[in-house]
Amino acid sequence: MNNTYSVSQVNSYIKNMFTQDFMLRSIYVKGELSNVKYHSSGHIYFTLKDEKSAMSCVMFQSFRSGLSFRLTEGQSVVALGAIDVYEREGRYQLYAREILLDGVGILYERYERLKKELLEMGLFDSSYKLEIPAYSMRVGIVTAGTGAAIRDIVNISTRRNPYVELILYPARVQGEGAAQSIVKGIRALERVGPDVIIIGRGGGSIEDLWAFNEEEVARAVFDCSIPIISAVGHETDTTISDYVADLRAPTPSAAAELAVFSIEDFDRMLEAFGTRLRRAMLSRLDNEKSRLLGYRLRLRSKSAESRLREIRMFLASGEDLLNGYILRAITEKRNRLTVGREMLKGLSPLSRLKSGYALVEGDFGVVGMKSSVKAGDRLRLHMINRDLGVTVNEVCEVDRETS
Amino acid sequence: MTKENKDEEELSLEEGLGKLEETLGILEDGELSLEESFKLYKKGMELVRFCSEKIDRVEKQLVILDEGEEDEL
Repeated sequence: MNNTYSVSQVNSYIKNMFTQDFMLRSIYVKGELSNVKYHSSGHIYFTLKDEKSAMSCVMFQSFRSGLSFRLTEGQSVVALGAIDVYEREGRYQLYAREILLDGVGILYERYERLKKELLEMGLFDSSYKLEIPAYSMRVGIVTAGTGAAIRDIVNISTRRNPYVELILYPARVQGEGAAQSIVKGIRALERVGPDVIIIGRGGGSIEDLWAFNEEEVARAVFDCSIPIISAVGHETDTTISDYVADLRAPTPSAAAELAVFSIEDFDRMLEAFGTRLRRAMLSRLDNEKSRLLGYRLRLRSKSAESRLREIRMFLASGEDLLNGYILRAITEKRNRLTVGREMLKGLSPLSRLKSGYALVEGDFGVVGMKSSVKAGDRLRLHMINRDLGVTVNEVCEVDRETS
Repeated sequence: MTKENKDEEELSLEEGLGKLEETLGILEDGELSLEESFKLYKKGMELVRFCSEKIDRVEKQLVILDEGEEDEL
């Protein structure tokens, strides 16, 4: 009885052993969940077990970001954490930092294998894709009867176009029998015969979306004679049915946008058509009108009225011309008269007589250069101040002009 | 069904819109006679009305097929 230790000393010693063990500080433990308790503090207490053994575990509230789903009894999970001793009770437990659903790896593998297989068979081939009608009046939907997906689709469709009929096949979209339910939905809607079908669901884990990765769903989508828009999960999730579908939408809301045309845009488009028609017709009419106007102008220039106007204008200009001629002629004559008068003035006999010349007159009249005068003729000399009676003594011919 | 010349009755909305676009194209070219243009204009306006009336403007309720299965709880 030399060495006796207190309980706390032993527990402390053991705790020390655990913390010094490198492997126990970070370890993945695989098992089935039981006794899951979500505590009001935010901590989660649970037990991991397999066929032979069990281990208590806790995930503190501060590590909850390492958990993306709700823990439920019986789930197979892998927990990452440290194994440590709870000294107060002398128990060791796993302090989990991250919990993953086991089987995810297996699912991914199946997904990749099926995708490759269907791709090789040509199920994703774009040549098989049907065109989504631009103006669907009836839209079929395969999704859960309750939940965000159908609510979003109905909201957006109604907002865009309340006259489009939505036909829902409420399907089981996750869990047991989901794939079969979706297949039945596609076939049931195909019989009803809408213009387009939306299949899908809201976001979730890969297990939640799994039905859309099943081969029978892929084949039903491929075989459907009505165009299908697939909208599974969020934008980042791409399922096999997204690849097979005629169109993939990132979300159910987006699918509704793609399937249902906006009645407002439609009406606006028709209105624009009407406006363009009227405008085209009016411009056609305008063309005719201006042609008509051209004809009218040409016709008018040929009319009697316009001939008369032309003649009248010609006459008026002729009159002006004539007036001008006459005025010019009168002025010219008047000028010549003045000149003549001046010339006459210079030629007057009186002015010659004034300079001492005399006018010679015989019985036959004024004696000119050519008058015949002989000796003995009696002549009269008219001077400015007297007239002389003279008798010619002799006549001598002279030529003064040439001298 | 013996509808021969009443082809407009058989047109789908998309076909109607296609024809409308085509009619408008010819009319806007302005190569036709005035009479033919007017005929086309009238036809175009009829197509506008046809397309608008092709949509049954009664608000629709969501139809739920009862053969569907109730979903998750």
